Amino acid sequence: MPVDTKRVRGPDESQSPLIFLPKSAQKVVPKEGREDGRQRGQTDVRPVFARCGLVSQAKGSAYIEAGNTKLMCSVYGPREIERKDETDMKSGRLFCDFRFAPFSCQKRGAWIQGSEEKDFSLALLESLRPGVCLHKYPRSQIEVNVMVLENDGSVLAHAVTCASLALADAGIEMYDLVLGCSLRQDGATYLIDPTFPEESGSCVADNAENQGSVTVALLPSLNQVSGLQSDGEMGEETLVDAVRACIEGCHKLYPVVQQALIKSVRRKAPPPEN
Amino acid sequence: MAAGFKTAEPLEYHRSFLKENCRPDGRELGEFRTTTLNIGSISTADGSSLVKIGNTTVICGIKGELASPPADAPNKGYIVPNVDLPPLCSSRFRPGPPGEQAQAASQFVADVIESSGVIQREDLCIEKGKLCWVLYCDIMCLDYDGNLLDACLIALLAALKHVWLPEVTISKDTDLAEVNTDKKQHLSIAKHPISSSFAVFDDSIVIVDPTAEEESLSTAMMTVVTDEEDRLCTLHKPGGTSLSGEKLQDCISRAVTRNREVSKLINTVMHSVKPQNSIQQLPLLGTLARSSCVLTRVWEAVEREMVEHSKPQGSSARDLFDKL
Amino acid sequence: MSPMKLCVPGERLCSTEDCIPGTGTYLRHGYIFASLAGYVLRKNEGEELPMISVVRETEAQLLPDVGAIVTCKVTSINPRFAKVHILYVGSTPLKDRFRGTIRKEDVRATEKDKVETYKSFRPGDIVLAKVISLGDVQSNYLLTTAENELGVVVAHSEAGVQMVPISWCEMQCPRTHAKEFRKVARVQPEYLQA
Repeated sequence: MPVDTKRVRGPDESQSPLIFLPKSAQKVVPKEGREDGRQRGQTDVRPVFARCGLVSQAKGSAYIEAGNTKLMCSVYGPREIERKDETDMKSGRLFCDFRFAPFSCQKRGAWIQGSEEKDFSLALLESLRPGVCLHKYPRSQIEVNVMVLENDGSVLAHAVTCASLALADAGIEMYDLVLGCSLRQDGATYLIDPTFPEESGSCVADNAENQGSVTVALLPSLNQVSGLQSDGEMGEETLVDAVRACIEGCHKLYPVVQQALIKSVRRKAPPPEN
Repeated sequence: MAAGFKTAEPLEYHRSFLKENCRPDGRELGEFRTTTLNIGSISTADGSSLVKIGNTTVICGIKGELASPPADAPNKGYIVPNVDLPPLCSSRFRPGPPGEQAQAASQFVADVIESSGVIQREDLCIEKGKLCWVLYCDIMCLDYDGNLLDACLIALLAALKHVWLPEVTISKDTDLAEVNTDKKQHLSIAKHPISSSFAVFDDSIVIVDPTAEEESLSTAMMTVVTDEEDRLCTLHKPGGTSLSGEKLQDCISRAVTRNREVSKLINTVMHSVKPQNSIQQLPLLGTLARSSCVLTRVWEAVEREMVEHSKPQGSSARDLFDKL
Repeated sequence: MSPMKLCVPGERLCSTEDCIPGTGTYLRHGYIFASLAGYVLRKNEGEELPMISVVRETEAQLLPDVGAIVTCKVTSINPRFAKVHILYVGSTPLKDRFRGTIRKEDVRATEKDKVETYKSFRPGDIVLAKVISLGDVQSNYLLTTAENELGVVVAHSEAGVQMVPISWCEMQCPRTHAKEFRKVARVQPEYLQA
């Protein structure tokens, strides 16, 4: 095994104290209702706090908090493209980097980007790209960096929202904002914007049918879906309903996101003289 | 064309300010930027803190894990500090393994922990030769505008003070660890190492708390770490131009006063966070600023003027971000 | 005056029958949409329809475009070309540096074959130039200084002092009075004070 010489290393092996917890202390996801008081089968997303322009060094940035899920995004560029290859120089390129801070999850994460982070980076890129007017930025690259500070579920969905806010804050031309919403299907009922225990918990309903999760990225004012991620096993009808519920969830976020953006525009400059 | 001058001739631009004993952001040579501290905002970590020095933002999360003690020191635990400079915090950092600066910062923090004895590693031992705590102290920069080391050390110290570990015993019957989350304990912090960083311009002008731009233009950097008894823990001067003994003495005495202010800041914030038995859910706005505190300070003033706003518990993230 | 309307990307502003799309907008299905977050501005410019645009605090991120006047700093020279960093497009500073190239034949308009790059620029000089091409896969932005108004605006002598232009091809150091060759720009006097 190669030794990581670039970091201060700890012991070769260590365990989270959580695995030594007695069985009785482990939390169980309730079958009726939800732990934070929301209802099952309804599109009540967690209240979102969004703010733009926190990272002084970045062209644009945003911070989002939904329940205990906290994440941050910064956007750099457009700047000179680094890798010049045979791709079309007439349009810009978008790069996404998605990271979990090592302390952001229940179990401590590794420093090296894991496969989950790479998958999320790609999903994020694909969800955002339809929203950005890349043809306006020839020969340039735009970098989107997302850092999850605390993971309490639905991180990909909120990362999409946060990244589109940061892009808009950076003054990158976009066809539309991109909003994200996740859902956990649990038998006949669903949990929208699931928390971490709800998302990762084993099947809660007694029958094991229709278990899965869906994440939708939506261009809200054009009403187009730019990203759809689904795993688990769901009937066709259930999936359609789940996507519909996610779209509804996205629309609920829209006013908050709009306000955050407008506030940051106002803070940056007074209205121009006519 | 002032802006043009700045971009085209940054060094001349800075010199023209330093000649007048001030800096482009309006500070005096010996003035720290506003320092804000926020403790306990990350609930997935066993201890956490967020520090802002001017624009520079650093977050530290500490997670405790269980391991068997090192073979050469069976009665000790581990402290594993790592500093990360992700591409998020500045365009100068690339994704991938830590760069030189991140590695140097990690090593610096590790050295300070080791030499100052902030925590007795014996305290982390649960049962000799069998089980001990590993404290993973992950420090992450979210906004890089200079003076990383000062921010890292404040974040580390505040997060260590906030660490709240469950009681662990080894069961006599099964020989396995038993974790009791109802009984939680803070660590005992033996020392309070706090650093002050300086940048040297043109071999003679010393400025405190440099911004990223000042750092890149300066000819040397220096960081002085002192503890609460005004003793010197670490002096870090990685090359650069030389500095007279007299100037060095000045820097050390300034570091001593800075230590007092930051200690006071940490204590004030800790005090406001203390009753934390129930982590309350705040409606709508986040917990990132459950409590925060601001400290502004001019170190050359005879009377140490301090501006503090202590936020009562339950204040919202809006307060923290409105100041930005 | 009523407070100015703000918009976010994707907002439908109006129909193409009401306005002409300006900056920060795009067209789709006969409607004008915002592509930026900013203030909505309607301007009557004597034409039939007012122009609608979205403006932000700074100009929306500019990229060097063909024909734009840019301010750049010379980073290196060789007999064939000078390499520069583009710092400004017009009067807007760029947050990130873009690299550009001034080829020997683009230094001045006349006697192109007699140009010697090291008699025209030195590393560290601040130069006004115009973009002639975005370049291809291999090359950077191509720039030219072949106009009277373009060329070196700020240069330092070997003694480290800012020099004063004395002709279109020479500058003089006020301290040592040594003369050095440059492709000097004839610019407005207020520029030289900076």
